Amino acid sequence: MFNKIIKRGHRKPSKADAIDSGLYGYGPTGNRNSGMVSTSNVVVNHASRTAPAPSVVNSAPQPGGAVIDPTALPSGNIDPLPPFRDVAVSDRQLLFLRKLQICCFQFDFTDTLKSVREKEIKRQTLLELIDFIQSGSGKITENNQEEMIKMISVNIFRCLPPAPHENSGSEMLEIEEEPYAEPAWPHLHLVYELLLRYVVSSDTDTKIAKRYIDHSFVLKLLDLFDADDPREREYLKTILHRIYGKFMVHRPFIRKAINNIFYRFIYETERHSGIGELLEILGSIINGFALPMKEEHKLFLVRALIPLHKPKALALYHQQLSYCITQFVEKDYKLADTVIRGLLKYWPITNCTKELLFLGELEEVLEATQSAEFQRCMVPLFRQIGRCLNSSHSQVAERAFFLWKNDHIVSLIAQNRNVILPIIFEPLEKNVQSHWNQAVHGLTINIRKMFLEMDFELFEECQKQHEEMEARARELEEQRELIWKRLAEAAEQRKGEDGITV
Amino acid sequence: MAMIDEPLYPIAVLIDELKNEDIQLRLNSIRRLSTIARALGEERTRKELIPFLSENNDDDDEVLLAMAEELGVFIPYVGGVEHANVLLPPLETLCSVEETCVRDKAVESLCRIGAQMREPDLVESFIPLVKRLAGGEWFTARVSSCGLFHIAYPSAPETLKTELRALYSQLCQDDMPMVRRSAASNLGKFAATVEAAHLKADIMSIFEDLTQDDQDSVRLLAVEGCAALGKLLEPQDCVAHILPVIVNFSQDKSWRVRYMVANQLYELCEAVGPEPTRSDLVPAYVRLLRDNEAEVRIAAAGKVTKFCRILNPELAIQHILPCVKELSSDSSQHVRSALASVIMGMAPVLGKDATIDQLLPIFLSLLKDEFPDVRLNIISKLDQVNQVIGIDLLSQSLLPAIVELAEDRHWRVRLAIIEYIPLLASQLGVGFFDDKLGALCMQWLKDKVYSIRDAAANNVKRLAEEFGPDWAMQHIIPQVLDMINNPHYLYRMTILHAISLLAPVMGSEITCSKLLPVVINAAKDRVPNIKFNVAKVLQSLTPIVDQSVVDKTIRPCLVELSEDPDVDVRFFASQALQASDQIMMSS
Repeated sequence: MFNKIIKRGHRKPSKADAIDSGLYGYGPTGNRNSGMVSTSNVVVNHASRTAPAPSVVNSAPQPGGAVIDPTALPSGNIDPLPPFRDVAVSDRQLLFLRKLQICCFQFDFTDTLKSVREKEIKRQTLLELIDFIQSGSGKITENNQEEMIKMISVNIFRCLPPAPHENSGSEMLEIEEEPYAEPAWPHLHLVYELLLRYVVSSDTDTKIAKRYIDHSFVLKLLDLFDADDPREREYLKTILHRIYGKFMVHRPFIRKAINNIFYRFIYETERHSGIGELLEILGSIINGFALPMKEEHKLFLVRALIPLHKPKALALYHQQLSYCITQFVEKDYKLADTVIRGLLKYWPITNCTKELLFLGELEEVLEATQSAEFQRCMVPLFRQIGRCLNSSHSQVAERAFFLWKNDHIVSLIAQNRNVILPIIFEPLEKNVQSHWNQAVHGLTINIRKMFLEMDFELFEECQKQHEEMEARARELEEQRELIWKRLAEAAEQRKGEDGITV
Repeated sequence: MAMIDEPLYPIAVLIDELKNEDIQLRLNSIRRLSTIARALGEERTRKELIPFLSENNDDDDEVLLAMAEELGVFIPYVGGVEHANVLLPPLETLCSVEETCVRDKAVESLCRIGAQMREPDLVESFIPLVKRLAGGEWFTARVSSCGLFHIAYPSAPETLKTELRALYSQLCQDDMPMVRRSAASNLGKFAATVEAAHLKADIMSIFEDLTQDDQDSVRLLAVEGCAALGKLLEPQDCVAHILPVIVNFSQDKSWRVRYMVANQLYELCEAVGPEPTRSDLVPAYVRLLRDNEAEVRIAAAGKVTKFCRILNPELAIQHILPCVKELSSDSSQHVRSALASVIMGMAPVLGKDATIDQLLPIFLSLLKDEFPDVRLNIISKLDQVNQVIGIDLLSQSLLPAIVELAEDRHWRVRLAIIEYIPLLASQLGVGFFDDKLGALCMQWLKDKVYSIRDAAANNVKRLAEEFGPDWAMQHIIPQVLDMINNPHYLYRMTILHAISLLAPVMGSEITCSKLLPVVINAAKDRVPNIKFNVAKVLQSLTPIVDQSVVDKTIRPCLVELSEDPDVDVRFFASQALQASDQIMMSS
């Protein structure tokens, strides 16, 4: 625990400074630095944060109507504004704008004693804004919508602090740690709440809102899914899902952007905190796919979802992934053998925890698999299952045997026993002869008996073949070596002959 | 070669093996592709083997990876450079697979082959391949293509060159960040092959696009391009085009980008020249040293010496040194640690006066840091300080730091300090060492942790080497031998180990008179582990001492041990006897 405190203590200041310095000259600058250099750094930070355009650094003032310019406000002082109900309806839009301006201030949350009054004022103001949107007590003007999204952007779009693995301060000794808690959450969650209320509000007209909730906004929202704080990701998930539901125009873009996150995760970094949340959104999107399925969606299955089985952190999002995969197969059973072959491609070699997850998922997919698709992939499938049956990790072996507890799978096996038994006969024999685990032994005997009762002749035939193979194994091995040796000799000889050309 | 003598069909063997369900066998056969090729001969390799491999791309990634690697060195087997183009199709396919390792290896092999190909062949087959990949439907092909341009470009005729530049520019604006990242990270290599005129026009505009990418993962790769491009451009162009970018990057909102800048900045100083360095890069670097994000400060602190070496001493003292002072009490121990590992290098840059006035206090405060890594990093660079200020000034602060580290509760810290003891000894000299450190060295021989005792034994050997046998006879040998009476057998074992290390350094005479009797005596130990270690030590002493000693003292002792009740003692004793027999025979 002590370590954690130390670590937090180390991690927070860096972020706190950043937040603190987002004050645009309000209050003292970061607790560590007092040089003017860092202050100027900060101003640029702020400018690029507000910029809706994807430019890197842009300190030019924002174009457009009534611009919130925090630097114009008297520094070091925020005064509470009257509640909406205390002013005339006609003045409420202006009040709304002024409240937005207050909410553009950001505070240092690592120091709880700092600017207590101002923090409370901002909190109250955010609550009032949420209430105003939620109550539908007056449609907000387009300009105010734009300014509100800007205020939200200023607050939520920040460069995330180093993740635990990127942080030199994190010791590998701490294996399981408590989830990270975003220090600014008391305000952040209200800002997210406001965004959510705005998105779901029936007063919000997507034709207008899409101007502010544009591609760049969505992209930055997606970037935040890598946040360490699970509460933040939860909000992001809900909000993005609602945006997906409401803004039809953004749908292909969102899907594409999520794919890009997946590709980077799979093929480049293997690090991302929000894969589970993104998959959860996709789970319900897939659920709503119309049939017959579009080619784009099938490609998504093959190119993103199936490769997502590869990263070693699979356990963190497997449940959601498995749900997405089974949704696909349940919607279109013809995809079953594609999925099964995909699982086989990424089947773990040494990671038993992952292997257990694979076996669980495999069972669910097989459950929805029809005979024709089953036949298309059963040979490689049962070679793999055979390897699992022999696993020296008893849980893996047991889990593989449990496939035979599933009636649908058993009937598929029974139909195709002529192909399957010859493949798994050897693994079964191997277990009988040498598996160390008693339970696995028992299960092996049961399955063996099941096949024996199913088809006595076939069983005998397999036994005979197995014995022959056993007897010839050495011979085959020697033969292989001999062939390679002769090949090498032939190569040498040739070299002698065409010596000049080589 | 008559067919009757040749019932082997090499391709059939390969096809057969690649069908095997055991991946190890498939891998083995791919690893022996060259054998198959040689057995086939060049022509059949070109006409049969390579086309077969082009189609056999549905295997496990591991097999494909091996194939991509093998094909990279396959030119001799297809008949030399003039036939190199037949190797391109299978590698082209591998450039589009999903697995990153396979793609990377295929690109590497293609580059290797392309670099040897003749110019007309490049134009005829390599450049079209690059174009196909760059226009690939799936991002994997486009990602791979970025790494091939620098091979294709130099031999392309003018029109094709224009086309290739346009293609690369497209890749830099690709829809998928994966492709843009690949284009960004390969830009430096490609730019190095582009003519100066186009460099300024086309490449710089490509580069500017990348620097403004909305994904920080792309921007941070563009940072790497800054240094590479900076070296290619004339200084004035560098100042006009690269400098503003790097200054912007140093204030990027993403700490990852700033981190990259902190790592690379010093490389740019040379490219832009002294004046812009003073006016722009020094302020940028100072900002990074004071960055809000600890990770950025760590990177910046680690480059402080490299940066100062480029500056003149005045600038370094005026601008960098104040930051260094701040960093030495940074809230993050990792920043201090990074600083401690390089700060000593600043001493020669600053000169003696500034070092004593300003650097020494920082140095001393880091030496007292609460975090052991920081202290260790300082101590490890001791030779550099010594050169500038001499050891006298330091020894006062040094000793407490060393003593504390010597007793640190983390054994890895103790291990690290032991490893520096010989260096310290040579820097501090015999006098200082005798008084203060001698006792510590003996104490480590009795450490709780094996690795420390092991390192301690090695340490006494290195000290004996450093100060010579006479000194060792006085200051090491008696103390070490004394410990052979320790009640704990593990400590006695350490001493035996130390003796076996010391013997070659001390020479035959001292070994016979001082060391050997102790070992012989230990053969009567009650613990079998000690006894078989005696056997091992005796074996190692045999080559050092005279044959007469071996016959008179060592062999009788070993013979006795070879009749010990303990099986292990007998084993090692007889092994040692055998070894001594062999020495006798050979001499």
